[in-house]
Amino acid sequence: MPCLELKNVTKHFGRLAALEGIDLRVEQGEILGIVGPNGSGKTTLINVISGYFRPTKGEIFFNDKKISGLRPDRIAARGILRTFQSNVLYEGATVIESMLISSYQQYKSNHWHSFFNTRTWKDENEKVVGRVIELVKLLDLLNDTFLPAEGLSHGYQRMLGISMAMIANPSVLLLDEPTTGMNHKEAMFVVDKIKKINEQGVTVILIEHNMKVLLDVATRVVVLSFGTKIAEGKPEEVMNQQEVIEAYLGTETF
Amino acid sequence: MMPFIDYKNVIPKTVIGLLVFLIVLIPVFTTNVATLSMLILSGIWAIAVMGFTLVLRTGQFSLGQAAFMAIGGYTSAIFTVKLGWPFWPSFFLAGVVSGIVALLVGMVVLRVGGIYFSIITLALSEIVRIIAQQWESVTRGTRGLITSMPDPISLGGFEINFFASTVPYFYLTLCLVALTALIFWRIGESRLGRSFAGIALNPVLAEHQGMYLMKYRVIAFTVAGVFTGLAGSLYAHSLTVITPYMLGLWQSIQIMIMSIVGGISSLAGGPIIGAILLYTFGTYLIRLEIYGIQQLLFGAVVVLVLLFLPKGTGLVDLWERFWRKVVWREEEYEPDTPDD
Repeated sequence: MPCLELKNVTKHFGRLAALEGIDLRVEQGEILGIVGPNGSGKTTLINVISGYFRPTKGEIFFNDKKISGLRPDRIAARGILRTFQSNVLYEGATVIESMLISSYQQYKSNHWHSFFNTRTWKDENEKVVGRVIELVKLLDLLNDTFLPAEGLSHGYQRMLGISMAMIANPSVLLLDEPTTGMNHKEAMFVVDKIKKINEQGVTVILIEHNMKVLLDVATRVVVLSFGTKIAEGKPEEVMNQQEVIEAYLGTETF
Repeated sequence: MMPFIDYKNVIPKTVIGLLVFLIVLIPVFTTNVATLSMLILSGIWAIAVMGFTLVLRTGQFSLGQAAFMAIGGYTSAIFTVKLGWPFWPSFFLAGVVSGIVALLVGMVVLRVGGIYFSIITLALSEIVRIIAQQWESVTRGTRGLITSMPDPISLGGFEINFFASTVPYFYLTLCLVALTALIFWRIGESRLGRSFAGIALNPVLAEHQGMYLMKYRVIAFTVAGVFTGLAGSLYAHSLTVITPYMLGLWQSIQIMIMSIVGGISSLAGGPIIGAILLYTFGTYLIRLEIYGIQQLLFGAVVVLVLLFLPKGTGLVDLWERFWRKVVWREEEYEPDTPDD
């Protein structure tokens, strides 16, 4: 049962075709890898799904409802969350503050409850803070909760980015190069967390350059080149296809 | 020290409580009109500065807060002087009209936000001034409108006479300052405040986490507009006159300076400190009658604060540092982040 469907999705920036006629079906619960050389449109694809860009042509459906053209906050409200390639953080906030801001969607009560500090607010807040601590423990950031987020090492910053997306309780998680800039040990740590997240029922779409990661974690892989899809299938199969190797599969690390 | 009382938290707050108590009792010690007027006007500016800081909390830099004071002041002046309304409904209406203007302007301009927003609010300060100057039939142009104190109120045997003494107006202003401070402080502590912080620190990220940027920017700008309008009304009636020159670009800049000096991290305490200190300083400077001295020294003060105090802090943060470093002699916490 496809939860996310892209139909002929095209994105032009003036005369530059970043994406051209992308048809894609993402099944509920799978881990889909997106690969391709730099400039092939991977991040643009995520940007279009998350609502940051409106597709020039084509449509995107989530659980059979059209989401293309909606604002990012509306798409996030439907359960599609993402991380950013340049690991975007809340500048100046500590880890715990960043998590609390990111937990925005977890609160169902009215703002008035929070303003008047009612019982409803206190109870809900306690629950959310509990979830934040759980998530922070799961992602190994417990020692650093009161530190400024910028003070963390690169690997931990990326983990924070993923936790911030996770706290909003997504059903689909879009990860933009989650292991870039990490050594093997860190990358495997992230892979382990992604698997745990997927076990909880979250569909994961990840952009990756690291083939080892993809072979380990992705159930299926899609290859983009110059904005079009050139291959699709299981990671081992796709890796050996002629077109893919020719299009330069990206950094074959380790 | 008793171990089961969180004395590090309780003692500074008790000191603040005592100061507030003393301020409330000032009229018992002195009914000097000049002193009370100084406090009244500081309080009025404090409200405007709180409004500026609230908008800043959403990441927007408004150079038009004096325009909302002018809108509020003129609204209540026009209704009392030209239409013969009593003070209280006019005062209320000042807040409503200011709020509506803020809402309409905000809905259009906050979409782009950033520098364009700041420039348009800067223009707004001047536009409102020009309208006040030119719309002679309504505002009496440069001659301005002569307002008066509210009428005496009878409350269960007591008569509150605003004409007889400055004290009732002092308490009126104090009530509005306290109300504004309470509301703004609660906003800062609540989930609304968190959302404001999110959209200010990183609008793109916040949007992707479900926060609708326009909603929060407009809420902050409108709430600030309402209270600044009320402050403007108090301003017009306390000075018993309102002219176009009283509230323009320089006053918007003054509000910004008071906010920065007081401390932008605080929504209530910082603005109040900034307003009181700079207003009294400014009044003193005006008496020196040296042309441009106020602009010059206000500029110098804000530059000094920005240079010597850590980023984003102002005088109000010194209070916390004073307790931590001087009184409790706490060591500076050096976090030990392992570099993986």
